[in-house]
Amino acid sequence: MPEAGSPLVLEVGLGILMLLVFFVGLFTPGEDRRRVGVLTAIGLVVLFGFSWRSEAGTELFHGTFVQDELALFAKRLFLLATLIGVLASLPLRAAAFARRATEYYLAILASLLGMLVLSSARDLVLLFVAFELMSIPLYYLAGFLKREPEAVEAALKFFLIGTVSSAVLAYGLSFMYGIAGTTDVRGIAHALGAGHPMLLLGMLLALGGLGFKIAAFPFHMWVPDTYEAASTPFVAWLSVAPKAAGFVVIFRLYLEGMGDRVLYWVPAAAALATVTIIGGNLMAIPQQNVKRLLAYSGVAHIGYMLVGFAAVSANGAAMMLFYLVAYLFGNMGAFLVVEAVAQSEGSEAITAYRGLAQRSPILALCMLLFLLSLGGIPFVAGFWAKLFVFWAAAEQGLYWLVLVGAVLTVVALFYYLLVAKRMYIDAPERREPVPVPPLLAFCIFLCVLGVLVTGIYPKPLVVAALRAVGPLF
Amino acid sequence: MSAFSLSSFPVLSVITWSPFVGALLIMFLARRHALLVRGLAVVATAVPLVLSIAIFVAYDREAAGFQFFEDVPLVPALGINYQLGVDGLSLLMVLLTSIIIFAGAWASWTVKVRSQEFYALLLLLVTGVYGVFVSLDLFVLFLFYEIAVLPMYLLIGIWGSTGEVRPQGVFGWAFGRTGVGTKEYAAMKLTLYLLFGSAFILVGILALYVAGDSSSFSFLEMELTQFDPKLQSWVFLAFYVGFGILAGIWPLHTWSPDGHASAPTAVSMLHAGVLMKLGAYGVVRLGMGLLPDGTLQWSWLVGTIACVNIVYGALSAMAQTDLKYVIAYSSVSHMGVVMLGAATLTEVGLNGSVYQMFAHGIMTGLFFALVGLVYEKAHSREIFKMGGFARSMPGIATAFTIAGLSSLGLPATAGFVAELLTFLGAWQSSHAWWLFPAVIGAYLTAIYVLRVTKQIFWGPPSTDPHFQNLPDARGPEWAALWILVAVILLFGIWPSLALGPVDTATMPLLNRLWVLQ
Repeated sequence: MPEAGSPLVLEVGLGILMLLVFFVGLFTPGEDRRRVGVLTAIGLVVLFGFSWRSEAGTELFHGTFVQDELALFAKRLFLLATLIGVLASLPLRAAAFARRATEYYLAILASLLGMLVLSSARDLVLLFVAFELMSIPLYYLAGFLKREPEAVEAALKFFLIGTVSSAVLAYGLSFMYGIAGTTDVRGIAHALGAGHPMLLLGMLLALGGLGFKIAAFPFHMWVPDTYEAASTPFVAWLSVAPKAAGFVVIFRLYLEGMGDRVLYWVPAAAALATVTIIGGNLMAIPQQNVKRLLAYSGVAHIGYMLVGFAAVSANGAAMMLFYLVAYLFGNMGAFLVVEAVAQSEGSEAITAYRGLAQRSPILALCMLLFLLSLGGIPFVAGFWAKLFVFWAAAEQGLYWLVLVGAVLTVVALFYYLLVAKRMYIDAPERREPVPVPPLLAFCIFLCVLGVLVTGIYPKPLVVAALRAVGPLF
Repeated sequence: MSAFSLSSFPVLSVITWSPFVGALLIMFLARRHALLVRGLAVVATAVPLVLSIAIFVAYDREAAGFQFFEDVPLVPALGINYQLGVDGLSLLMVLLTSIIIFAGAWASWTVKVRSQEFYALLLLLVTGVYGVFVSLDLFVLFLFYEIAVLPMYLLIGIWGSTGEVRPQGVFGWAFGRTGVGTKEYAAMKLTLYLLFGSAFILVGILALYVAGDSSSFSFLEMELTQFDPKLQSWVFLAFYVGFGILAGIWPLHTWSPDGHASAPTAVSMLHAGVLMKLGAYGVVRLGMGLLPDGTLQWSWLVGTIACVNIVYGALSAMAQTDLKYVIAYSSVSHMGVVMLGAATLTEVGLNGSVYQMFAHGIMTGLFFALVGLVYEKAHSREIFKMGGFARSMPGIATAFTIAGLSSLGLPATAGFVAELLTFLGAWQSSHAWWLFPAVIGAYLTAIYVLRVTKQIFWGPPSTDPHFQNLPDARGPEWAALWILVAVILLFGIWPSLALGPVDTATMPLLNRLWVLQ
């Protein structure tokens, strides 16, 4: 067993945790296996602690597996997101979550393992395997409530689009291997210098495949249906962690060691960012279900992160990471408030938020903070996130992209404010406060803390993000 | 010397943040204690008022430039500093803000519903306004700008009023469907327009930061930078659109009548009185101050659109039957005078522009306070239902008449000085024809102001039983009226009081432009 400093400690630790969860679940009698979730959460806290003791700068298997600053940053992000997701899943009410808890948490952990390996993978084969390890449990989790037709439909949609995108990705990767003659990512970057058109085509194909995973427009079709039907804490996690993983892959494939050749991606990335921002924001407007609204707004946020990619600079990539963290807190927090309201009101419609500010002022304030953060308002995390990606794009001379992005944030604020209007301006139908399970409240509190601390004092995170992308350029 | 004692402590920070502290105290201490809430609000607005009068007096006119300077590094690596300072221009704007909000705190004495949150948001907004006027760091300025814009959504959405006059005509059904005239509609429209503008401002600021070689957001350093004329050209347009939306430039003004008519009294006062000036201030300070080439290139556009504003706003005001909409459209017209004065690029014109910012701020603040009072007594804003109120409310009638006379530019009121200077500037400018629409606008203003004043106050009394035995202003309500009327007359009779410091700020700005010409 590797000691604490070894690059594999997180993956091995997670493997041990999965075995533990499996056996504890197996030998837990009765219908209620929720203690497995508690075990998972504790394990994740331990692993999160370990991630701060890991050191960057080691490689394994001839550079196939690399533990650099980027990998560590991403792993901490994945662990944190998963921890919040798992904690928020504990109070879930449906009987399936008690009876089949082992499956639920094991699937989450398996997917997490995929993400962890993925963020260290610098080899096409390992990268693809890790990608599938991450994705397949997600399909299962989307359809976890298998008696509900919507959930099954959502899972099927997710699965079909997901496998097609995997196929496109694999197709692109095969081109890359065919031309470059190596599966090593650095070798491909090197081969790109020769400017072979088929290699470029392969990389653009792979970008398309990744576009499905990160749900960039027009590859986003699975998002709203899946989000609407799946359980909310899972969706909160799904909306953040796998997308972050997709971006790490983008960093590895398209930025690492590319030198000046990164400029190839500017047109594609800028175009993808533009359509994603416009599409996501416009489609969010007519939504009456908050989960669908957040789903489309999430698509738009992916677009803003792609603005950072379009900047193809160290600043741009670092600011994308910053954006991811801000998005983690803001988006997960918003979904968790949705869960709290849905548990009490039995509805995810915007109308369920009527007069929330007078019923549960603190919960409403939290939601307002999350929405403002997502909207990019000063003094909450999202403002800096947007500002920084715009800044990076401006340095690249992409002023038009900045203008498009900035103007579309106004559209975004429109639909966020519609929710705020329900909470603050409309009169409540009932007076009694919305009950929030303590664990859920704790998770919401964590997210508020993240949004506010990052919003008021963003510097440490900026420094960390800049350090994380340092070795890429 | 008072100047010494003032410069030894961060007076601008105290002015800026005391409303914010007031808002915090109100939220935490004054729970469900209506009188304490109001008391705190009055104190939190009185402190900046006293201090801004003090700095207005203590400002060294010989030395000119930015004074009461404060500089604290915030994010040194990115060149962001908490840098404050006032020159003659911002000095007058700070004074205006203090007067209006102090009067506004008295004028909203009657807000009963959720008054704690109301005052807290109002004060938060005021901190944003002060911050924009005193910031010398463009980034910090932008942060304050956002604070000044956002609370408006809730202020109008929760405490606003829905207009009595329902939309009709060919597009009546469409207006009905979108909720035109309701407070929710107005709040959303206003917020989105202003945030749309702020997107342009942000892009402009980032472009200047990236293009400038000092990698600093400081206004003073950017002022020394010679930006590429092409960059200046589009950044000026970005600032013009961004800040211009807030200043109500045609055709992006439509948020303003809806917003001002739906907002609660103090918010209308503050918004029409101060926030629109914030837009004009932004165009003058950032647009003209940093981008001389861009200014020369686009001044024809700014002036021409300003003329459209003047005439269009006045004509629209004439067509209204809702009293609050009349005042709101008159703001659109008067903001045209402000922008016209700036576009003339002459000394008198720019001084007139700044003077008009101040004069219109006070005047429109008084107007909205009076409309609020009339509505509170008579529960009506429909001009042609009311009549002969001067008998029952002589105080309000007199104040309204004085505001009206200032609005149409009668000598001995502040409005006269402002309009005279602006018109002189227009005549001296390279586009002398601007004078004609401007004068026509002033003439139309006289028509709609006198018509409204006569109908509501001085004409034959209404026979409607609702309007019998209406009370005059009472108690705290007088405070707002007295202050504002006194300021209008004071600055009308003694214009050099304000023009002295203003001139010290406008001359260096214009000198940079004239050198290029």
